[in-house]
Amino acid sequence: MKSPASKLPWMLLLAAILIGLAAGTWGAVAKIDYAWRWNRIPQYFFYHGETAVKIPFDGRVDTILPQSDKVKVGLLSETNQRVTVTVDKGLLKASKGDDLFEGDTVGFVRQWHMGPLMWGLWTTMWLSAASSIMALFIGLITGLCRISKNLTLRGLAVIYVEFIRGTPLLVQIFIAYFFIGTVFNLNRNVAGVGALAIFAGAYVAEIVRAGIQSIPRGQMEAARSLGMSVLQSMVHIILPQALKRILPPLAGQFISLIKDSSLVSVIAITDLTKSGREIITSTFATFEVWLTVAAMYLVVTSLLSQLVFYMERRFAVSD
Amino acid sequence: MIKADNVVKVFSGRGVTVRAVDGVSTEVVKGEVVVIIGPSGSGKSTFLRCINGLETFDDGHIFIDGVDLANRKTDMNKVRAEVGMVFQQFNLFPHKTVLENVTLAQQVVRKRSSAEAKTKARKLLTKVGIAEKEGEYPSRLSGGQQQRVAIARALAMDPKIMLFDEPTSALDPEMVGEVLDVMKQLAREGMTMCVVTHEMGFAREVADRVLFMDEGKMVEEGTPEHFFTDPTEDRTKLFLSQVL
Repeated sequence: MKSPASKLPWMLLLAAILIGLAAGTWGAVAKIDYAWRWNRIPQYFFYHGETAVKIPFDGRVDTILPQSDKVKVGLLSETNQRVTVTVDKGLLKASKGDDLFEGDTVGFVRQWHMGPLMWGLWTTMWLSAASSIMALFIGLITGLCRISKNLTLRGLAVIYVEFIRGTPLLVQIFIAYFFIGTVFNLNRNVAGVGALAIFAGAYVAEIVRAGIQSIPRGQMEAARSLGMSVLQSMVHIILPQALKRILPPLAGQFISLIKDSSLVSVIAITDLTKSGREIITSTFATFEVWLTVAAMYLVVTSLLSQLVFYMERRFAVSD
Repeated sequence: MIKADNVVKVFSGRGVTVRAVDGVSTEVVKGEVVVIIGPSGSGKSTFLRCINGLETFDDGHIFIDGVDLANRKTDMNKVRAEVGMVFQQFNLFPHKTVLENVTLAQQVVRKRSSAEAKTKARKLLTKVGIAEKEGEYPSRLSGGQQQRVAIARALAMDPKIMLFDEPTSALDPEMVGEVLDVMKQLAREGMTMCVVTHEMGFAREVADRVLFMDEGKMVEEGTPEHFFTDPTEDRTKLFLSQVL
């Protein structure tokens, strides 16, 4: 007879191991005399910066109207064109009657900006999202070709899958950018998304094939016996059932894709990884930045797996 | 309605060739109920599957309402829409509710409106006696209920012919009756039926004609009285002595 209390010692052991690991790491780092500077990191998420407000023409400062925390500045051009700009109080750099040339600074406004880490995260997310959607599409088509009766389609699918699975992603990215990208004059984002999509598509194809083949033959026969065409049977009967089964491996593939997208930093796409490298060159806070970057990847991937977990439960209604 | 002419189906694989259906000829007229019996592996299911094109055959002709299935130009989807099939393993669509199982093909193949398909489906579900389960998923139903839904699903296409491939073989014994009752009712209403079954009682009671197959060949055919009381072939006598 198992009692729920018997869990406690094991949880304590788990906690002890985790604390031991953390303490060990801490001790090892203390030995090499590394100065932690975590306070440098937040500014790379968001920072409060000053943006210059510039005069759009040659002209002069006509009116200055102070308000509670802003200053409204009326600008008059030589051709009597009038423009009003707003700057922050105390950051006004011109006075009434000043003659200014086009592009001169009238004053500054203070605003919140996204730092390189957030921009990098954004780039990583759209890169992964775009290549996931393309990979799903490529994988679906290739997976269907893979089980087709037509020898040509099957042959093409097999060659594609074998070629992609047999070569390293890093090499594929280099080929996509430096070879195909040069020949067809592609920009780096297209080459990057393309390489990731084609890479993931090969794995998705295998997942789709396995999913479709796992549906009992009788399902297709029942659909066909009702007069549905192969395509109708696939769309209404086989694929919905297969999708439910392939959701967990598919999610694993997309999580992999998010992580693999870090490799596109080698063709100078400023994703999360490359942002991290750039921050290190200006702060030398190597440990902090890489730990932060790792944590950010972890947040994105765990959110995705939670989402898939939720979808799995939704689909489970017919079980 | 159905005319089979010297149908041959050969399975070959791993160096072995099996003549699963070996020169079977027969004819089923409109409104007739034909029961095909025989030992397992005798090719009766394969023959049935040839009739609606789930298996292709290697030689001979099958005509459904005058349409030759051996003709490569024949639109098999059109033929199948006219020939309902009920499987041993039910093969309901597990991701669809009972009602959706019955409406789907009506909408996709017959292009009926949703309302029209639902009305038809509810009428048929009532007929097979499970109208109250229309919102359930197949996994919640017993085997007998699933098979009755499968019959309703096939009937929803208004087929001219119904094929039954051992419809009661996967059922618990106490559920066989409810499925056979539905089939008997169909037979009384004049549906053209081809039934592969091991239910000798059903064959005796409902069949207009009994076909006995063994090793891919049609061994004997005749009325149930002739077949069960006075079979001519030795093979038939041996089979009947074992099953009765």
